[in-house]
This record gives sequence, structure tokens and C-alpha cells, in this order.
Amino acid sequence: MIFSRLFFIYLFLPACLLTYAAARGTKHKNTVLIIFSLIFYAWGEPAFVLLMLLSAFVNYACGLLIEKYRGGKGDSAATAFAVVFDILMLGVFKYSGFVVENINALFSCSIPVPDIRLPIGISFYTFQTLSYIIDCHWEKVDTQKSFKNYLLYLALFPQLVAGPIVRYSTIEKEIENRSVSVSDVAYGFNRIALGLGKKVLLANQLSIIVDNTLGGIENATVVGAWYGAIAYAMQIYFDFSGYSDIAIGLGRLFGFHFDENFRHPFVCKDITEFWQRWHISLSTFFRDYLLYVPIFGKRRKYGGLFLVWLCTGIWHGASWNFVLWGLYYGLFVFIEMLIGKKRMKKIPLVIRHIYSKAVIIVGFGIFYFEKLSNLGIFFRKIVGYGSTQLIGLQDRISLTNNMYLLITAVICTFPLIEGFKKLSEKNFAAKSAVNSAAALCSAALLLLSSIMLVDATTNPFLYFRF
Amino acid sequence: MSKKKNTGKPEGNNKREASQAKAATAILEKPETDTTDENKTEAAPAAAENATEKKHRRVSNTIALANTLLVGGMIAFGSVYMTCLRHETIAEDENRYLTKFPTFSMSSYLKGDYTEGIADYFDDTVHNRAKIKQFISDKLLPLKGEPYGGDDEVELYGIAFEHTPQEIPELEPVPPITDPPAQLITEGDTEASSGNESTSGKVTTTMEDTSGQTTSEEDTSEEQTEKHTEKQTEKETEKHTEKETEKQTEKQTEKETEKPTEKPTEKPTQTTTQKPSEQTTQQQTTIPVKTGDDPKAADGEVTNNILIVNKRGITLYGGGWGGEKTYASYVNEYHKALPNVNIWSMPLPTSCSFYLPDKYKNLVQSEKADFDTMAACYNGVNAVDAYTALSQHVDEPIYSRTDHHWAPLGAYYAAQEFAKDAGVPFDDLSTYEKCVLPGYVGTLYGFTKSSKLLNNPEDFIYYKTKNNVTVTQYNTYFGNPYKTSLYLNPAGWDKSSYYLVFGMDDNIRHIKTECRNGRTLIIFKDSYGNALVPFLTGSFENIYLCDIRYFNLNAASFAKQVGATDILFSMCSYSAVGGNKTHIHNNLYK
Repeated sequence: MIFSRLFFIYLFLPACLLTYAAARGTKHKNTVLIIFSLIFYAWGEPAFVLLMLLSAFVNYACGLLIEKYRGGKGDSAATAFAVVFDILMLGVFKYSGFVVENINALFSCSIPVPDIRLPIGISFYTFQTLSYIIDCHWEKVDTQKSFKNYLLYLALFPQLVAGPIVRYSTIEKEIENRSVSVSDVAYGFNRIALGLGKKVLLANQLSIIVDNTLGGIENATVVGAWYGAIAYAMQIYFDFSGYSDIAIGLGRLFGFHFDENFRHPFVCKDITEFWQRWHISLSTFFRDYLLYVPIFGKRRKYGGLFLVWLCTGIWHGASWNFVLWGLYYGLFVFIEMLIGKKRMKKIPLVIRHIYSKAVIIVGFGIFYFEKLSNLGIFFRKIVGYGSTQLIGLQDRISLTNNMYLLITAVICTFPLIEGFKKLSEKNFAAKSAVNSAAALCSAALLLLSSIMLVDATTNPFLYFRF
Repeated sequence: MSKKKNTGKPEGNNKREASQAKAATAILEKPETDTTDENKTEAAPAAAENATEKKHRRVSNTIALANTLLVGGMIAFGSVYMTCLRHETIAEDENRYLTKFPTFSMSSYLKGDYTEGIADYFDDTVHNRAKIKQFISDKLLPLKGEPYGGDDEVELYGIAFEHTPQEIPELEPVPPITDPPAQLITEGDTEASSGNESTSGKVTTTMEDTSGQTTSEEDTSEEQTEKHTEKQTEKETEKHTEKETEKQTEKQTEKETEKPTEKPTEKPTQTTTQKPSEQTTQQQTTIPVKTGDDPKAADGEVTNNILIVNKRGITLYGGGWGGEKTYASYVNEYHKALPNVNIWSMPLPTSCSFYLPDKYKNLVQSEKADFDTMAACYNGVNAVDAYTALSQHVDEPIYSRTDHHWAPLGAYYAAQEFAKDAGVPFDDLSTYEKCVLPGYVGTLYGFTKSSKLLNNPEDFIYYKTKNNVTVTQYNTYFGNPYKTSLYLNPAGWDKSSYYLVFGMDDNIRHIKTECRNGRTLIIFKDSYGNALVPFLTGSFENIYLCDIRYFNLNAASFAKQVGATDILFSMCSYSAVGGNKTHIHNNLYK
């Protein structure tokens, strides 16, 4: 099931909220959440829900073993087993086809390519469970003794299928002890409406532009290729951050406080900063669990960096363009590292902004084209190589037809809400005004999004496939 | 891995992360109102709380409560709206029945179809769906921007195939052909055009643009109507499943747009490998199968590239890019397989050839040029020039303004041209009963959701023949026959459509007429071809209407079985040059 459909907003969610509210005590409330989470997952994946349960059980059991044999060999063995199990599971379901295809291509053999469908959300919940196991091993968190509680952490439907990758430590205490105030509910509702608006009103509409520009890259002009890539960058941002907003909002309705996953990435001044603002839960995951793995010896600083960006790329999909995409960003982070923070700061701000936006936009072009031949055409188009026109009639028509949408989208990439929050801190009257306006805006966003959803193609969130 | 080594960094990271998270929380996650929890941790000691703070907290909580009640109330209202109000069953503007509540089966449940079907049912059948959709088209979508080009009010949907004249790629050399190219013979009467009604004559040439000679047969009219069956319309109903959603607009179209993306990649390779021996003499014809992989060729299939200009939706033709030659080679195969049958090819232009204002001409490729290339590549196949015939009537409503099909009147002029070439009698338009269905908003609205089309409906005008005909409909295996009528009865629907009059495509129809000239015609077509049939009921004794995409027999065997004297390939340019053309080839090897 996806969040951006009427059935979820107006049937599943109210049913869940009412049952949750009716349940007394955290234990019962947790039971309600687990049941609804399993229904949520099984809605579209009745078979793969078992896989998720298996993953939960294996990791839960390994957690107990780690605790039991703390500091001994059993600890390391259980950790290693769980990590290998998780990575293998991800490997089999996500990468086996890709690996076999490449082996076939490389060695001219014809091993049958396994036709395995990607279970929804496997990349997200596997990373969550990995973080739990490693944190247990590192004694950063206490082992969860109750399978039910562990399942709640892993299967919690707000973040189950498309993140954010919630660390166990983030909600460890809230699993057994949490409360929900009326402000939490208001905040949750507003955040859901905001996310829905981002997805339905902006991302879905931007996707039409993307289909019409990058989708027909052979016919694109120079301006068309850039226009398409800019629209795609914004589409992905609103799509994914919209999902995260809904997830955070839903979490808050049930008393959970998830960390932010996006902090207005397009206002960044360099690529390093971009990744501190984009999909934060993933980049911090790699930073904490991969960057310092000492497999590169003395050169681990650079080796780790390479590994992180390789993994970041491949995590997004079993395709070469994603590998390229990850390494592409890694290259710029590496260059920025060589230049150094101080020297970077000396570069005029305007130039840093232009540089970072150009890198990001081209980066999303790489992200879009899974077919490398089309990616080649895209590169030729953006630099105007060959007989590419600068701008065409179709670009002019499309830009005119979508001018207000584009302006709105660009404005919404700036931290507007934060601006209003700052304003609200001046005095109580301003705060009340801002809060009241937030309520009205949320209602308007929910209404408009719902109307649009009546006729919407049920556009799944893009990060579902990762 | 030593534990110390490992724990050192992550802990540092953890701190960093914690501070980062804290900063993030400070900026973003701070609730909009004071909460009881926060007050516990943040607020000053209770003793320091003064009356103002209490008041502030009360006001904040009141706002939060109002906020909760407002948004929560909306969700509650939405729940009631979606569950208690009547569910819509028909989408008039999309000419389809809406999703039905799924029936349970274990297999559908395990695949997730049952549960997704329930969600689809609720999402698809929202009360007052049509009015809400109208609101979206009228009020919301125009907020995206402005129409282009002043009074033209241009809106572009999909991809245009923009080119500057010098960028048109040079055509490859024409494959060698044994017979003189049909196009070169512009004079000289042939058997076909001189009223020949023989069934076996191999017609090798065709006429271009000679004066039409039509005869008409007056027959008594028998109005045959039939309720549009649910089964037929259900074919149009598309499930809104998650995985298919991105292609939604294409899916709602007729299968023309849908099939090509699937078939060309599979079928051509299969058939060429299965039947290599049968193609040894036609190497040129098998080579173009590759065009299925050519992205440029594939572009031509996408029919949801639409320009709306002057309240008319126009599909933008992307060009054959070699597909036109492949098409010709496939049709040539029928001549090889059936040397004693007259093979006719009448590719049909779309409205962009006639109704696209000059200043937008470079958004499309030339259909005429591709048709000319086809004609030059025919080998034993007769080209029928519908393009020229239609171009002489552009002032008449020969194309729909809101639909991607032509109008029945356009089909009349094309049929007239064909009848003239085939040397068969032809009923004049005056012998038909003109039927007008007002309020017609066609498929292009479904693709674009443009209010420019929705709010400017047109009349759907079709012509009922007075000839007595018997129509038998079969499944795509030529089995399960049942009697039907030439036209469906669109009376049960407020808004009409091309499909509601001419029926769906996934069947074989046999039309037995009172014409007694011994000619039996098979029309291999896409949905464009459906509109031709009524105008040929006075011209052929038997007509078999077969859709190239839904034909599960060997075409040559079928032709022999029904005693075909003529085979007409008639489909729009998209089907001819796009992926659909591979069915023409594949149907010979089934």
C-alpha cells in the first residue's frame, strides 16, 4: 500500500487511528500497531510479509545471542551471522539478476537470470535491522528482549517500506513508553498534509514534465535536457521528502519521534553539504557503519569514502547508472576534501552555488537513465554536442504551460517553513498566527491533494523500488 | 575487528549524529505548539510560571486542538464520503466501467491482486467522480501555467518530435523490389481500377488520384442495434495498479498504444528464429525487425503526445525512422504467401497531417513522406492513397477534434478511394442515414485532462448503411460465434464514443452483405479500420474484420479458409510504423 492514495488516507489510516485510540496501555497499542503494520505490508505483498517476519526473527534471535555471549566469540559469531544473513537476503532479492546478467556479459556465458521480484521496502528494513545488530554488538543499544517489540520497531508501517531508515536507538525508549499530546496529533496531521501536498501537487505534476523531456531524450534540445533534469531533481526531492514527511507525521501520531531525513538539500553550497541534507538517514548509516570499516588499511580514509559512495549508488538500484551516480558524487566529495573546507569557503558563494546545483542536476540525469546509451545521449544534449538545438518550440510551450508550477516548486525547495517558525519565535502573537495559518494551510493541502487523487494515477513513491 | 577500535569511532559519530539530530530537531521538529511533554523538560520550574505563560499554553493548546479537529475532521469526512456515499460505476468521459469490488480467490490474494483490488475499487469509484474530475480540469490544472501562443491557446502533452528541416535524417536506400514501384505508375488503368471483380487477378499496380467512380446499391435498411455489453466495455477498464500507474494515460487508450511496447521486443525475435527458412527469400523484410529496438522507431508509437491548439487535440506523429519500410516488407510477405489474393495497403494519416497550424509543423514528422516510402517498397502490394483522398476534404469534419481517431466521414472518403482502386461498387454517402450524437468528448481528453477539450465537446456523426447485413462476431481464434450488429447502440451512455459505435477490437467480425460480386475482403486493421466497414457493405460480398493485434490464427490459412479475394491493411500511421506492425509479420507465422 502506498500513502498517496485515497484508500490509505481515508480508510486505512482512520481505521488504524481509531483502533489505536481505543486500545488501552502501550502494550495493547503496540499490538494494534503491529497488526496494522502487517496488514499494511501484506496488502500488496502477501507472500513477502513472511520474508520480513523471517528477517525480523533472525535478527531478533541474533540480538539475544549477542547479549548472551557478550564480549565472547558467540557475540562476534552472532553478529557476523546476522550481518551476512541480511546482506545475503538483500543480495539475493535485489542484486542476483544484475550480478548474473553481468557475469553472462563478461564471460559470454548464459546462466539463467533469476526472475526475482524485489520485495517492497527490503532495502529499508534490512538496513534498519543491520543497524540494530551492529549497535547491539557495539553496545550502543540494549538488546530487545521481546520479539513483539522488535517486530514493532522493524515493521512500523510509517517507515517500513520507504524509510527513513530509523535507528533502533531513536525509538528504543518510545517503544515501551510514549505519550501523545494534542500538539503531537496536530503536528502529525500537518506533516502528513505537507508530505501529501509535496507528492501529489508537485512531484506528480513535475513527473509529467520529466516524462516529456528526459523520456524523449533523443528529441530534446540543450535547454530541454537541462529543464528535464532540473524538473527530475525537484520531482525526486518532493517525492521522497514528501514520503518522509508523511512517515514522520504518522510516527508522531503514534508518539514516535523520527529523525529528519531531508533538510532542504538544494540550498547547499557544496556537494558534501548536499549529502548532509539529502536522505540523511542513509548517509549517516553509511558513515557510521561503513566509513570506518578498516579494510583499506592506511588508506582507509579514501578507501572508505570510495566504498561508501559505491554502496550509496548500488543501494539505489541494481543498475550501472546507480553505481556511476554514487561514484560521481563520491568524486566531488573527494575533490572537495582535497580542496579543504577553508579554501572552499574562500570561493565566492555564487560560484559555489552554481557549481553545486550543476553537479546535482547532472547527477539526477545519471540517476534517471538506467539505460546507459540514453545516458550518453543525455550527456551530449546537455553540452550541446552534435546538431542539438539550443531551445525548441516544444520547450517554449512546455515552459509556458508549466510556468507557475515550476516557480512554486523552486520556491518550495527553500526552507520556508523554517522561516515562518523563526518568525513565530518573536512573540506569542506571531506564534499563534503562524500556528493557525499552518492549520489552515494543512487543511488546504489535504483538500487539494485529495481532489487531485480522485483522478490521479496511483503514482507510487519512487523510492519504493529501492 | 577489535571492539575498542570499532566502538571509538561510532561513539564519536554518535555524538556528532546526536548533535546533528538535535540541530535538525531544533530547526524542524519542534512542534508548532507547546506540548505537555516539552513543558516538562523545557519549561521553567512550575513556581516561575506566571499567569501569562499559562494563558499562552492554553491558547497554544486550543490552536492545536482546533488544528487537530480541522484536519482530523476532514479525514473523518473523507472516510464517510468514501464509504457511505454511492460508488460510481461508470466513467462517461473515459468510456469505461469503473473498477468493481474484487472477488476473492486464494491465488488472487497471494498475488496481492485481491487486496489491491479493494483499494482500487474505493479509489476508482469515488462519489461524484466526474464532477471532481471536471473541477480538476477546469480549476486546478490551469493553475500550472499559461497556454502558449496567444489565441492559439496551445497546450503540449507528451513529447514533440521537433526537428528543423535540415535535421530530417536521410532515408536509407530502398530495398530492392522486383515489381515497379507503385508510385511510379501514375497513369494507366489497371484491372483493379477498371471495375474488375475477378477474384484471382494478381494486381501489381495501383492508381494514384484518378477520379472516383462510385456505384451504389440501395438496400433496405435494417436497424440492428445491440446493447453495449459489459463484457465489451470491460476491455477498456483498466486497473490502477501501482506498477502500471506511470503509464496510466497510455493504458486508458486503446491497446494501440499499449501493445507495441510489449510485443515488438518479444515476438519478432521469436518468429524470425523459429521460421528462418521461410524468410530466406525476403532478407530485407526480416532485417527491419530490429527496429523494435530502435528507440526512435518506438517513439512513433506513443500516441499520448498531444498538442492542443485552437481547442483541437492533435497527436504528434514522430516518424517511422525506418519502420515504414519494415511495414512495407511485412505486407509484402502476404503477397508471397498468398499470390492469388489482392493485397491492398492503405495506411491512414492522423489529424496532424491536416490540422496542425503551420507554425507548429516542425513538432511532427511527415506522414506523407513515410507513406510514399512505403509505397516505393511494396512488392506485389497495391498502395491505396487515402492521404490524398482525405486531404481534399479537410474543410469537412473528417477527424475528431477530441479523439485520436478519425471521424466516420474520413473513413468514408478513404473507403471510397479503396473501392475505386479495388474496382468494386461503392455506396454514395447520400444513401446512408446520418446519426448525430452530441456532447462527444473523445480519448484525447482522457490523455490530457484538458479543459479545452472537456468544455468544447463535439458532435459524433456517423452514417448508418441501409444495406442488409448479417454480422457474426467471433473470438480471436475464430470461434464462439454469435450474431451482433454493425453498430453498437450507445443509447445507454450519456456521452458517446468511437468505440461505443464501432465496438472493440479484440474479436473477429464477419459481415455478410447482399452484394453479389464474389469478392471476399479481409481487413487487417487497428481501431481506425473499424469505421471503414459500414462503407464497404455495398462493395464486398463478405468482409472479415480482424485486428492485427488480436488475431490468434495463421493469417494465410485464415485467408484460404474464408476464401479471401482481397486483403486490405488499413491502420493509422502509428500502428503501421510503430510496434504494432510486428503483429502483421507474426500473424503469418502463428
